[in-house]
Amino acid sequence: MAHVTFIHGIANKPPAADLLRIWRETLANAAEPLPLGDLGVSSELVYWADLMYDKPDDNVVAHEGVLENTPAAVDGGGGAAAPQPRSAEEAAFLEALRQRMSGLSDAQMATAPDLPAQPQGTLERVPLPWFLKKPIMDAFLRDVHHYLFDVEFAPNGRPPVPIQKTIRERFIDSICSKTVSRPHVVVSHSMGTVIAYDCLKRVGACAEVDGFITLGSPLGLDEVQDKLQPGWSQDNGFPHERLAGGWVNVYDRLDPVCGFDPRLANDYRKGSAEVIEDIAVRNDGAWRHSITKYLRQPAVADALRRMLQLG
Amino acid sequence: MADIAQVDQVRQAARAALEHLQGHASAAELQAAKPLVEKLRNQRDYELMGQLAEAVSRRDPKDASNRRLYAQYLIDTGKATAAIDLLQLLVRRLAPDDPEWAEATGLLGRAWKQIYFDADDKSDAVAREALKKAIAAYREPYAASGNPWHGVNLVALLARARGIGLRPPGGLDVMAIARQVIERLDATPPERRDAWFLATLAEASLGLRDWSSTEGRLRQYVSAPSTQAFHVASTLRQFTQIWDLEADPRGRTLVDLLRARLMQLQGAELRLAPAELQRIGQQAAAPAFQLEAVLGPNGAQTYRWWKTGIERAAAVACVRQRLGARIGTGFLLRAGDLGLGHRLPADELLVLTNFHVVNPQGASPGLAPGDVEIVFEAVDANQAYDIAEIVWHSTPDRHDAALLRLATPVAGIRPLPIATALPVLEESARVYIIGHPGGRDLAFSFQDNELIDHEGPPLGQPAIDGVTRLHYRAPTEGGSSGSPVFNSRLWQVIALHHAGGKIGMPKLNGKPGSYGANGGISLQSIVAAIKAG
Repeated sequence: MAHVTFIHGIANKPPAADLLRIWRETLANAAEPLPLGDLGVSSELVYWADLMYDKPDDNVVAHEGVLENTPAAVDGGGGAAAPQPRSAEEAAFLEALRQRMSGLSDAQMATAPDLPAQPQGTLERVPLPWFLKKPIMDAFLRDVHHYLFDVEFAPNGRPPVPIQKTIRERFIDSICSKTVSRPHVVVSHSMGTVIAYDCLKRVGACAEVDGFITLGSPLGLDEVQDKLQPGWSQDNGFPHERLAGGWVNVYDRLDPVCGFDPRLANDYRKGSAEVIEDIAVRNDGAWRHSITKYLRQPAVADALRRMLQLG
Repeated sequence: MADIAQVDQVRQAARAALEHLQGHASAAELQAAKPLVEKLRNQRDYELMGQLAEAVSRRDPKDASNRRLYAQYLIDTGKATAAIDLLQLLVRRLAPDDPEWAEATGLLGRAWKQIYFDADDKSDAVAREALKKAIAAYREPYAASGNPWHGVNLVALLARARGIGLRPPGGLDVMAIARQVIERLDATPPERRDAWFLATLAEASLGLRDWSSTEGRLRQYVSAPSTQAFHVASTLRQFTQIWDLEADPRGRTLVDLLRARLMQLQGAELRLAPAELQRIGQQAAAPAFQLEAVLGPNGAQTYRWWKTGIERAAAVACVRQRLGARIGTGFLLRAGDLGLGHRLPADELLVLTNFHVVNPQGASPGLAPGDVEIVFEAVDANQAYDIAEIVWHSTPDRHDAALLRLATPVAGIRPLPIATALPVLEESARVYIIGHPGGRDLAFSFQDNELIDHEGPPLGQPAIDGVTRLHYRAPTEGGSSGSPVFNSRLWQVIALHHAGGKIGMPKLNGKPGSYGANGGISLQSIVAAIKAG
């Protein structure tokens, strides 16, 4: 027996059971099929979209990664409102992260051509209209900020909870669950890679795992790395404390969430050695950050198969 | 397909209703029983459906809807002529403006169509007469109401009649009716479109020989959430047996793609004759444009998966009494995969079946090895293999297994791969059985089952030391004894099927109560027992 813990990324998501089914089925239907259930590999999903969004997205099909016609279909669903900084540090963080994503102001985005001649940020390079890209940026800034600054938050009048503390608890509960068997691999996407890394590196209660896969990760961004201290350092950023096996990082150069620094081996070294396996892939379509596109990549199935010792 | 809890609920309610109706049922109890007949039909519980329809008829013989459903039960259980007698009386009794009149007349057409379906030789006099009568039966209500269901059947039957050289009745133009059906369907408001809407449109497009529209509409149909396995099975039957689509290269691929899609749907079952299986196995891969046109973006994977299933069927054999009837199923495994590499050549192919099918003493209901022969019908229905010896066996109270060495080596058939683990018990877990259901004309049954429980890791608690059991369930009857049970995506064998039952199977892992389920023995536990000697 083996086990996989999935953790999702930014923006609103379908209900947890549907999202887990989509992830499993995408792996099972990939060109190199990896049907976890048939192989006796159990899996669970760490779900946290409910902490940030009013209710799950009931348009499940939008999350299957085929269409690119609504914000939900491009990781921009849920209508995240712009986060309000509570300090100069938060303001600087948000401004810097925003600059990474786009050089345009909100007003400029409203009138800018979809593909400017001289792109100033990573979103500018994405061949989608701004009415789709703006919600992606809003969700990214809000969700990352609320987690890394442990903002007390809840949607729509519910009692606020500390976001980082609550998501960490969910992750730890899942990782330490009695149903988990070894080898145990964490497969994370987008903001989920930051959460998983944070727990594996910085939370003592987190159990040891045997493999770590990051897909479309923003962990290469300086602003994110700065907020993972104490714990992270360039020379010893590898989470060896609770990661017994390897770390495979898969990215698409045109995935705007990875920014201009999609490779992680140089930033998360183990005793100064570069040990992370960075793998570049080419997802299809205009939106390269989609989880289903990553999960369909043979490189992902291959890495997961190796880590799960499936032969 | 309804889930297990719903299926059980309807069955329990139907049994309770039967008891009431056999005693002093009140008017309210009679009314409550009536809708259950249709619900039983929807879950294809024909035996119980027939009993309840009969019981309702005794209390209320004038209920036209129940009589019509009773006729449907008769058709679906192979009693088409009895259904025709019933329906002819019903049609005579009803006024043409009664909605049940059109339903009953159309069903009369379906009964004649069934007789045509069932005829081995579709050109003989009985089949031709049935075809003519089916056309006449659908024509009458279509002329009266223009109902697309009657219309599209008329289109299909007229096309078929033309195909076998039957002169169509005067005044019936296939193309004109097909166009009328499409116009009528296009005008149907979205809220009134039922699960058959897209299938009917696709079929009407076929009447116009418009392949591209047919494929596009089929794609919408097979991917619609409301489309269930029995819908696609019915469309397939219509396409193969009435439209004879397999006579046309493009139609042949279309049918193959529909089969692939059908087998992905929950509760699917497909029965294929050995010759069909051989033909599908040898058929060239479907062109990419058609894969995507019918099955969508994952079409190539779906098709590859289905082709693998077809290939696996080659290693499934029928166990039959020497020159006699089939008594069970067996399947080919490699000696080395069973841990027998030290006793036998590792690549020698052995057949695994149930002890209660073949055993050393011929203990009933099984037979002794000398009294049976093994035939791989999907490869060569005329070549029978004798059994040289039983290499290993385990009695029915343990693994219920017999491993057979054949007198002549099997060549040209790939053994089945063995799964290294049992599937995880998650909501969507499914297993497939390929076997030879007893007493059927068609030899192979591919059947989708819902995996209910097993005694494997991590949470299983085997009740018999060294024996790991599985329970799974299909909406129809269980597979044949000795069939391989496969995991759903990889077509690897996970178990040896040994028992099936609609009721009374005690639950596994110390859970209280019983249910209707099929039972199998984990292949890994059989391999472990073989290795242990």
